[in-house]
Amino acid sequence: MNSQQIYYIFDLCKSPNLSLSLSFITMAKQHARWSPYDNNGGTCVAIAGADYCVIAADTRMSTGYSILSRDYSKICKLADKCMMASSGFQADVRALQKVLAARHLIYQHQHNKQMSCPAMGQLLSNTLYYKRFFPYYAFNVLGGLDNEGKGCVFTYDAVGSYERVGYSSQGSGSTLIMPFLDNQLKSPSPLLLPAQDAVTPLSESEAVDLVKTCFASATERDIYTGDRLEIVILNADGVRREEMELRKD
Amino acid sequence: MSKAAVDVPMKGGFSFDLCRRNEMLVKKGLQSPSFLKTGTTIVGLIFQDGVILGADTRATEGPIVADKNCEKIHFMAPNIYCCGAGTAADTEAVTDMVSSQLQLHRYHTDRESRVVTALTLLKSHLFSYQGHVSAALVLGGVDVTGPHLHTIYPHGSTDTLPFATMGSGSLAAMSVFESKYREGLTRDEGVKLVTEAICSGIFNDLGSGSNVDVCVITKGQTEYLRNHQLPNPRTYINERGYSFPKKTEVLLTRITPLKQMVEVTEAGDAMEE
Amino acid sequence: MADQGMDLNAPHSMGTTIIGVTYNGGVVLGADSRTSTGMYVANRASDKITQLTDNVYVCRSGSAADSQVVSDYVRYFLHQHTIQLGQPATVKVAANLVRLLSYNNKSMLETGLIVGGWDKYEGGKIYGIPLGGTIIEQPFAIGGSGSSYLYGFFDQAWKEGMTKDEAEQLVVKAVSLAIARDGASGGVVRTVIINSEGVKRNFYQGDALPLWHEELEPQNSLLDVLNSSGPEPMAT
Repeated sequence: MNSQQIYYIFDLCKSPNLSLSLSFITMAKQHARWSPYDNNGGTCVAIAGADYCVIAADTRMSTGYSILSRDYSKICKLADKCMMASSGFQADVRALQKVLAARHLIYQHQHNKQMSCPAMGQLLSNTLYYKRFFPYYAFNVLGGLDNEGKGCVFTYDAVGSYERVGYSSQGSGSTLIMPFLDNQLKSPSPLLLPAQDAVTPLSESEAVDLVKTCFASATERDIYTGDRLEIVILNADGVRREEMELRKD
Repeated sequence: MSKAAVDVPMKGGFSFDLCRRNEMLVKKGLQSPSFLKTGTTIVGLIFQDGVILGADTRATEGPIVADKNCEKIHFMAPNIYCCGAGTAADTEAVTDMVSSQLQLHRYHTDRESRVVTALTLLKSHLFSYQGHVSAALVLGGVDVTGPHLHTIYPHGSTDTLPFATMGSGSLAAMSVFESKYREGLTRDEGVKLVTEAICSGIFNDLGSGSNVDVCVITKGQTEYLRNHQLPNPRTYINERGYSFPKKTEVLLTRITPLKQMVEVTEAGDAMEE
Repeated sequence: MADQGMDLNAPHSMGTTIIGVTYNGGVVLGADSRTSTGMYVANRASDKITQLTDNVYVCRSGSAADSQVVSDYVRYFLHQHTIQLGQPATVKVAANLVRLLSYNNKSMLETGLIVGGWDKYEGGKIYGIPLGGTIIEQPFAIGGSGSSYLYGFFDQAWKEGMTKDEAEQLVVKAVSLAIARDGASGGVVRTVIINSEGVKRNFYQGDALPLWHEELEPQNSLLDVLNSSGPEPMAT
């Protein structure tokens, strides 16, 4: 359960100070409360299938009402069969990726093999919880293939609560995408069956189509999602990448 | 207080009845509802035979696009139109109100409305509410004294300019105007420049988006070009389509009939008052 | 989404330089042309010298909305007054109307004004009406954020009984000095000269103003700045 979903968001004190200059210059009296965080927006989706995993994210990076980049990849390769898509605060995401890369390098030296996706999932959780009281402002989904070659998706909150699921969405457009994924991928009634399996029944191409639709729709209504869609597909053959243009407004 | 005063809404102005209650609720931690704001790009310019106004068509509520194709160029008079940015309700209410005052004024005087009249009515209303009516407007029109373009800020200050921009995308749009505007543009050049300025807002400002609306006002003629340009078509449609067949499983069915209706008959003397 | 980079709800203010100077036949009023909303220049060609009657003008500073409303009311009252009197209103009457509104509504208004004009009884007169509604008749008055850079200059440069041209040159020089130092002032210099013969409006383009200490020549592009042979502008 994602019970620990409380985020510390230091909001900027948003009172624009207008110093009125009459006979003397009045300097700004109010200090805007400085915040260590920013929100750079963006949406991530991952879907696990029986023998594949689809990880997707848009490539827009923004702040406030401005676009910082139309071509910034949110998907990061952590291990041979493990990809992480992250939205939130780009500086924290980069710091997190760097820590994970370093930890993975140490792991490789010690064990002479790549980390498995479930192992990386636990490492990510630990890394996030390590900063429980000054969290990474990063909303991650981890996708990959487990040791049996089945698709696996892990979804996180900012302080490390995580869960293995069949599909997930994180970031600014997640509130728009998640209900649609639930509708398309969950069994008829959530009351009837405890999910028998963490994977979805779709074929790989159907899953990719679903992801494209999700992003095309989320881009219509979420201002922080757009520009370009990057899709990574992991399966027994290896890694495949797809791209799709999104609305640029 | 008479009964009528309670039931019938007041004829003019705002009702401040619930202000103190709401203030208390906010203090207790209730969040006041958010308003539909048109994070907007609106522009206007003067060309050789009149005025051209332009607007995007996105309305937002926080990070969510509330309306993908709204109208931000409002009718004021047959020869005057007004673009609105800020709280959607305020821009609509204030332009409708002044538009009706102008219509009445035309009935009285039997003359075409003037842009300054609209300007004065708008600014005096906005000034009297000290910026709480958050409407930022670009007012344009052609009257007996020629073409006019004004900007009006929520606090009631006004500017008179040959080219103007407003809203969250105003900086993006102004950069286009500042580099390309010149005096004596033709109609086609003007429409092209306005479209380019709006597109600059649409693509570079997240508060603005979707389509371009344009309104060309010349002496004795007004052309409202709704959705003059549609630069943002939908990017992907799944050919297979989607079905939503799964419905909630019926676990059991039991029908409980309603209780029999009981008829009550009056018997004996009524109780004394 | 209440707030954005440029806040729409921020009141519009005129970080300003305004000046009124008397000379031996009338007055010269001067102002820059910048209106800003925080960091953004909302209007780079504004006219802060507003007509009240044929022979009286006012220089506005502070909140744009407040100063416009005050001058609109004063103009309206003076028109009535002129009709009732059957002759032009004096500068003193105009200034006292400004004072009356500024003083009575001091809690609502954030505007400082300089009233200047010419009438047949007292000749050229300048009245300064700062924030609270004080009224001071002065041989010269300066106001706005840029005025703090000008007090010493005026103490030195203002002389009794200047000619019209001397007075106008003084005003233009003073405003251009303030524009050079005050970030809230800028654009062009506008002047209004009022005397027994009537009113003359002039304006001096921003790129035609004299360059003061360490000011750079106007450039069209950043590339020109980098290629210019002048002092290294981007030296660290």
